[in-house]
Amino acid sequence: MRAMLAALLVAAFQSSTPHPPGSASSPLRVASLNLTADEVLVEILPPDRLIAVTRWADDPKTSNVAGRVPASAFRFPKADLERLVALGPDLVVVSEYTDADFLRLVERSGLRYHRMAGLESLAGQRQAIRDLGRAVGAPAAAERLAAQHEERLRELDRRLQGAPRPRVLYWANPHTAGAGTAIGALIEAAGAENLGRTLGLQGIVPLNSERAFLSDPDVILLGHWPGALEALKAEPLLSRLRAVREGRIVEMPNELLVTLSQHSADACWYLAAALHPDRVRP
Amino acid sequence: MTDARRRRTFLVLAIALPVVVTLGVSMGSVSLPPLGVARSLLAAVGVPLGGSAPLPPSSEAILWSVRLPRVLLAALVGGGLAVVGAALQSLFRNPMADAGLLGVGPGAALGAVVAVHLGWAHQVFLALPLCAFAGAMAAVVAVYLLAHAGGRPSLHGLLLTGLAVAALAAAGTSVLLVATEEFRVRTVLFWLAGGLEGRGWEHVRLGAVFILTGALALITLARPIDVLSLGEDEAAALSLPVHATRMAIFVLASLVAGPATALAGSVPFVGLVAPHALRPLVGGLARRLLPASFLAGAVLVVVADLAARTVSDRLDLPLGSVTAFVGAPYFLFALRTQEGRA
Repeated sequence: MRAMLAALLVAAFQSSTPHPPGSASSPLRVASLNLTADEVLVEILPPDRLIAVTRWADDPKTSNVAGRVPASAFRFPKADLERLVALGPDLVVVSEYTDADFLRLVERSGLRYHRMAGLESLAGQRQAIRDLGRAVGAPAAAERLAAQHEERLRELDRRLQGAPRPRVLYWANPHTAGAGTAIGALIEAAGAENLGRTLGLQGIVPLNSERAFLSDPDVILLGHWPGALEALKAEPLLSRLRAVREGRIVEMPNELLVTLSQHSADACWYLAAALHPDRVRP
Repeated sequence: MTDARRRRTFLVLAIALPVVVTLGVSMGSVSLPPLGVARSLLAAVGVPLGGSAPLPPSSEAILWSVRLPRVLLAALVGGGLAVVGAALQSLFRNPMADAGLLGVGPGAALGAVVAVHLGWAHQVFLALPLCAFAGAMAAVVAVYLLAHAGGRPSLHGLLLTGLAVAALAAAGTSVLLVATEEFRVRTVLFWLAGGLEGRGWEHVRLGAVFILTGALALITLARPIDVLSLGEDEAAALSLPVHATRMAIFVLASLVAGPATALAGSVPFVGLVAPHALRPLVGGLARRLLPASFLAGAVLVVVADLAARTVSDRLDLPLGSVTAFVGAPYFLFALRTQEGRA
């Protein structure tokens, strides 16, 4: 027993990096651990180089690339480091919210990673696409994607020049989107005022219903998930909002509302078409 | 209770621990051949085996970078929490006592939420466990200082101060959670539910330094703990420095439970179930109960972690839920049995 304990302790205090980190050249085999990367990589990588995606990539309620992910790619049901190491990718793409401790373990396992960050603005999303393109060795494809995104938003902005800007409140009971959020950026790019920002809020934060009621939005933006509309209409105070009584509620497809990839341009067009049907068609 | 039964219990635990550790490192979302695992472990400690490499490179990476540190940390956390539970139950003369009385859990939770709220957990390696540890220790210091504000505290005073500090820390945690970006909240929810995903050798080293040292120190205090369990007046009559001994146990228990909670999140019932199950087998004397509890707690948490990561392909169950699913029914059963006998 004593020998066993000694052996375990020796092992615990030994350095434990059996393999050097992967080559710094263009990675051939890329694994994604976040949905945004799934959506970008499907566009910019040849199918045989994308070896793993998240399981959400196949769900049409969350993903804009459902049905387009190569069948050969492994689907991660969870952030499974053991499976990741077994797959042996040359590069792992993680999100801004992946724990630093998890990432250290990824490195210790001999894997390289690229972290997507700055996705809370539309410009940041384009930059993240370009950075990811460089990291996976597909800068030209990524540049094309980012340029298309920029061009579509420029065209939308042109169509919305001079249009009145309705005051939109995003509502995910009891959260709303303030400044510095992708949903706030989406609302503003769609030719509206983000009431969350106007109220001085920062990030996705709770908003009490009294304050929401007093803000008197012109339009309520909801995610299109089961029960969201019914919950809003059943809320004692918010059900009395002008926007609710007059039916000025936009239920946005979930996969568009949550996307942080190039598909955020589709989301902006969708919302703009709902807010400004005279100027924009989806 | 016979010596033979005690010896048998220790023997079973001493065999069970390496067995479950071997199972724990062999099983997971990627299956590793136990023989290859054993050869790789032996090779690492210098046993010459010859022949080809014990495992393919990717399996070696999984074993040494991911799975072994996780399993060893599970054993350390389980052992530490069980020893603390056994020591505090003797100190408070209450079989329901465990690390929760120290304010460690809520303090660690507050520290963890601070790390997540400020974004440190996502940017800085070890920020979350270190902040959780700082929170746990801050809660313990607060309990100590507040309890001593009016002179030497009674056991009841210490207990109630611990509860009050825990409530304050829990309130702070709630406030911060509400104010934290929802994507970040997910990280802290995983931590609060207990788990060992993403823990590496650095976590094991941190845990080993504090948990092993603290647990060994508690075990060396077994005799004073036994004397204290007779009652304070009796202990004083036997010339035991009651207050100093009690505080030494309190500090050591905090030094074990704080890191254990910081590294694994909430892992409930281990400190209650392990000593409770062992008392009929090894007796209530701390010199036997504490080391036996360490082994049993280690076995329990290694097995619980194995279940947490293998029951479902789609998600890892929270480790704290697994120990609660097992611990709570066992505890209710034991309680009923005791009441039936009374």
